[in-house]
Amino acid sequence: MKEARKWIVHRISAVIVAPLFVWLFFSLISLSTKNYQEAIYFFENSLFRILTIALFFTGFFHAKISLGEIFEDYINNKKIKDVANILALILSIIIPIIILILLIKI
Amino acid sequence: MTDNQNPLSPHIQIYRWHISSLLSITHRISGVINLLSLILIFFWVLFLSFGESNYELFLFILNSFVGKFILLGFTWSMSFHLLSGIRHLVWDFGYGFEIRTANISGIIVIISSLILTVIFWLLARGLI
Repeated sequence: MKEARKWIVHRISAVIVAPLFVWLFFSLISLSTKNYQEAIYFFENSLFRILTIALFFTGFFHAKISLGEIFEDYINNKKIKDVANILALILSIIIPIIILILLIKI
Repeated sequence: MTDNQNPLSPHIQIYRWHISSLLSITHRISGVINLLSLILIFFWVLFLSFGESNYELFLFILNSFVGKFILLGFTWSMSFHLLSGIRHLVWDFGYGFEIRTANISGIIVIISSLILTVIFWLLARGLI
């Protein structure tokens, strides 16, 4: 991805992620005082499930770009940097896919 | 070997810290902590899918002293990254670069992140 385009999509993804992250993190803290049924009831809401999936795909995409910048600034060795970038890429694909599968099953 | 005449970056140990450099590195650190928060949410959904008894174990850990301390830390990290991110977006539009403005906005971010953490936590735990 070209640097200018990466910079723009990083900002756009930040604007999408921010409200979704605040909402879901608030829900986590709030539901941590409630029981299992309340949490299941929360995720039975289709809109909440879609928003959660959207957060994970956009959030990990945003994190992948951010981690790439950190690796670029702090890792000198090219091989280690490439491995770190590949691991971040794998993580940013696998976790959202697992969340998608889990939420379909709940 | 020829001498490299390229200018050196300021050395972090002798560089005089100022509020913008402090907030810049903290923004990155809080971003990484937020990634851990997202992974915690992943485990929340994972344990939920494992059934009630496993979910009770997850809740037990989350509501322990250490669990609450971590959640509170994650809340501050989220608050700080959100407010610092807004500051960065304002910079992206070309505003707030004057040293005095940057210093004031930095202080506002630090103080507001602490206030937001307390309000967020009290609201989420149903204490207000």
